[in-house]
Amino acid sequence: MPDEVMGSVLVVGGGIAGMQSALDLADSGYYVYLLEKGPSIGGSMAKLDKTFPTNDCAM
Amino acid sequence: MTDWEPKITTFLCNWCSYGAADLAGVSRLQYPPDFRVIRVPCSGRVSPKFILAAFRHGSDGVWVSG
Amino acid sequence: MDKCIACGLCAEKCPKKVDDLYNENLIKRKAAYVEYAQAVPLKYAIDKDNCIYFKKGKCRACEKFCPTDAINLEEKEEELSIHAGAIILAPGFTAFDPSEYLTYKYAKHPNVVTSFEFERILSATGPFQGHLVRPSDHKEPKKIAWLQCIGSRDINQCDTGYCSSVCCMYAIKEAVVAKEHAGSDLDCAIFFMDMRTHGKDFDRYYDDAKEKNGVRFIRSRVPTIESVEGSDELIIPYVNENGDISEESFDMVVLSVGLKTSPELIALAEKLGIDLTEGKLCQTASFHPVSTSKEGIYVCGAFAGPKDIPQSVIEASSAAAKAGACLSVSRNTMTREKKVPEEKNVTGDRPRIGVFVCQCGINIGGVVDVPGVRDYAESLPFVEYVTDNLFSCSTDTQDIMAQVIKENNLNRIVVAACTPKTHEPLFQETLISVGLNKYLFEMTNIRNQDSWVHKDEPDMATQKAKDLVRMAVAKVALVEPLVEPELDVDERALVIGGGISGMASAKSLSDQGYNVDIVERSAQLGGMALNLFRTWKGEDIQKNLSELIESIETDSNIKIHLDTELSSVEGFVGNFKTTLNSNGKQEVVEHGIAVIATGANESRPDEYLYGEDSRVVTHLELDQMFMNNDPSLKDIKTAVFIQCVGSREPDRPYCSKVCCTHSIESALYLKELNPNMNIYVLYRDIRTYGEREYIYRKARLAGIMFIRFSVDEKPKVSKDNDVLKIELWDPILEETVVIKADLLALASAIVSYKDEKLAQFFKVPLNEDGFFVEKHAKLGPSEFATDGVFLCGMAHYPKPIDESIAQALAASSRAVTLLAKKTIHVGGTVAEVNPLFCSSCGVCVSICPYSAPSFIEEGPFTGRAEVNPVLCKGCGLCVASCRSGALNLKGFGEGQLMAMINQI
Repeated sequence: MPDEVMGSVLVVGGGIAGMQSALDLADSGYYVYLLEKGPSIGGSMAKLDKTFPTNDCAM
Repeated sequence: MTDWEPKITTFLCNWCSYGAADLAGVSRLQYPPDFRVIRVPCSGRVSPKFILAAFRHGSDGVWVSG
Repeated sequence: MDKCIACGLCAEKCPKKVDDLYNENLIKRKAAYVEYAQAVPLKYAIDKDNCIYFKKGKCRACEKFCPTDAINLEEKEEELSIHAGAIILAPGFTAFDPSEYLTYKYAKHPNVVTSFEFERILSATGPFQGHLVRPSDHKEPKKIAWLQCIGSRDINQCDTGYCSSVCCMYAIKEAVVAKEHAGSDLDCAIFFMDMRTHGKDFDRYYDDAKEKNGVRFIRSRVPTIESVEGSDELIIPYVNENGDISEESFDMVVLSVGLKTSPELIALAEKLGIDLTEGKLCQTASFHPVSTSKEGIYVCGAFAGPKDIPQSVIEASSAAAKAGACLSVSRNTMTREKKVPEEKNVTGDRPRIGVFVCQCGINIGGVVDVPGVRDYAESLPFVEYVTDNLFSCSTDTQDIMAQVIKENNLNRIVVAACTPKTHEPLFQETLISVGLNKYLFEMTNIRNQDSWVHKDEPDMATQKAKDLVRMAVAKVALVEPLVEPELDVDERALVIGGGISGMASAKSLSDQGYNVDIVERSAQLGGMALNLFRTWKGEDIQKNLSELIESIETDSNIKIHLDTELSSVEGFVGNFKTTLNSNGKQEVVEHGIAVIATGANESRPDEYLYGEDSRVVTHLELDQMFMNNDPSLKDIKTAVFIQCVGSREPDRPYCSKVCCTHSIESALYLKELNPNMNIYVLYRDIRTYGEREYIYRKARLAGIMFIRFSVDEKPKVSKDNDVLKIELWDPILEETVVIKADLLALASAIVSYKDEKLAQFFKVPLNEDGFFVEKHAKLGPSEFATDGVFLCGMAHYPKPIDESIAQALAASSRAVTLLAKKTIHVGGTVAEVNPLFCSSCGVCVSICPYSAPSFIEEGPFTGRAEVNPVLCKGCGLCVASCRSGALNLKGFGEGQLMAMINQI
């Protein structure tokens, strides 16, 4: 293992929380490994129809 | 029924309706091929001038969606 | 995966049908599949557990039919090892499986569905294309019931003691949307125990569902669902609020299932050595809401407690801020930057247009006569080069395209292929790689909006493709290279508010390497938290608070301004100039971003004898007594708490969120001081969401009495011969209860400061309750639509300490994404004013949602409009509204759009 601090982060889960973490980190100058067990990202939110309280489309 | 097909000029907002038209394609929905799409950054960009110009150039209908 | 073009042929040819998990197994999909049409990445996958080839060793139909050789059935599982500086856990939740509840007939009756299945039934991309029908016979239901707390707040049947926090709201939403789909005749009834609509604008949504949408709310926990032999009907027996037994029949029943941690996740937590709570959720502390028990591992989303989307998004950014803080010395060491060749100047050159028509395998080529379109394009003005490609987006075609542009000296490019929404950036990259400005490009959509939607009319689809190419060529001939101006970002931050949120945000910004000015209107740091005793987890607030204050005071990156308010703000994202006023002394600070963390206040009740009797105190006054170890506390024989004092009433229709938990925590502390004390909590709904539910259960077990009242029959407080008397109607006993109290604690509402001045300074909106309005209720909770301005804490909405700190970290994380760039690239497609034509009418200034246009203040064009390209989002609203024709939208100019219209 290298001694210096690595400029990279492992994010486990490609749902809304994982994606937001990954985006923030990548935009802040860190390399991100985003891990998702399924074939696409989006998580539970992608299965929802609308979101409360605005009734916006979840997709 | 005649062979006449209308010509419809369509202004679609890039962020919603244009994406919806893409999704219609992904879902393989079928609709008549009479629309000609002009992608705009927002339906707010569509000035009345454009609508009049479309009619002047022979459009039978103009659809603004956003 | 790079080769897959998402044509869908593999799924079409795959002979194996399997349950579609995305659609909650309500329908089938193929073993070669894409989860859903909008999936990212849009690449098909082979479901190894169901694929015939993987099961029986033969088939390979997908491989045979795939036009791009994208399928590799020999691919083996690989083990990769990753070196990372920090880990963020965002593994989400699993929905509770109600088949273990035999009484609810979920496994047996098709019309008993879970709330997640119902989401899919409502969805346009769902099993019934959004047509609301019940699964048994596909008939439209007339009556639907929702049963709440299935797998939540239940330790008898499923051992989940906590509240899942989101189910009340999603059930209301599903009922409202169902009525939208089916019309107002549909009868929707929600059976619940406590209505937990504690988030921003949630109570308004609940009120509207009741009053405007006619959703019925029945306060009852339903014990079972009965089915009728030979019928698809379902019968719900229940005990109503008066204690009478009733029953009602429904066509469909939705079980509002709770959120749980999956067994795999519990195993992973064990492997990582992180502590879990009794509910098997990730353990965190109120002052460190995204830190796990293991250093360097952070958590966000539902694994750290059931929560809704905005709170997950907030925690996600917080976790990023924490990870960023521990790695800030290595920022930018592993990211890569692209080398870009110098841009060729083509201004004034005659257009030399190249047209590339894509076949997309058979996706376009199978319907549209692509060679015909290609040859037609050659006849169009200024077109110098045409070709067609099997797959224009493939890497090798991109290389060829770059070569062709160079060899033919092309200066405008048209690609007729799929949608620019997914592929425009790819082709623009190719232009950039050969030194062409990326705006010298036009893409036209002959797949999604042509071949796919007119597959039975090839001739007309070909004609449409030709028309679209002609329109694109007409436009591209007129486009000009656009510059994306670069703007330096001032790397300093201004945090407004020295409470918990402001301090947490300032500390996080400093930890990530930035200088911060923190402004506090009072004479000391700490804010509202100075009045608080302990959290619901039992943590000492003053101890944690003084540690936080000390860390701020000793931080050399942070400059503290006490007794200070803002007197003016100039500038915009990256370059703000703010004047601070401290007792008449002015100071100007320059900063790139601002965080608004001004908090909220406790309201002064004007009822229940508050201010008239010293035994009547507010929440915070009671906490003060606790902190002072007030000796009178021990002598109290009877204490009463009244909830929703000034909250959830017509004048203030929102929930203050923290009061239920705070009252119960205080009641439990009184029990600690004197176990014989009689304690009553008078409430409307107990909203101890998440694992806060445990203290509610603990309070009930400790003998604290909970009596419910409705807003129409509020308790009456009177003083009779110095006896403090509280009367209220008990709906369960069906009689008026009279309590003589020695202490009456009022859960007074949290109210905003309605800081209109600050809102105007930063051009950010306030809602009708006076709280700041975030950029997006779901996806942008910690920032404003105005770039460079961020939001956290109670200035956004009442919230407890853990959520305030999480949002403070989130605001700093969002801010760092700007600060870390050092420069901002502004989009090229922005509006510009020709001041010679401007008549100074001000329409553009008033109409712009982003405050980009303003009046020029000096020089020859004083009074005319100008557009700040940094703030402009390129929507073109001002351009279409300008009555003088002075405005132009670059990239979508009048001439360019007119050229397209001319060619239709």
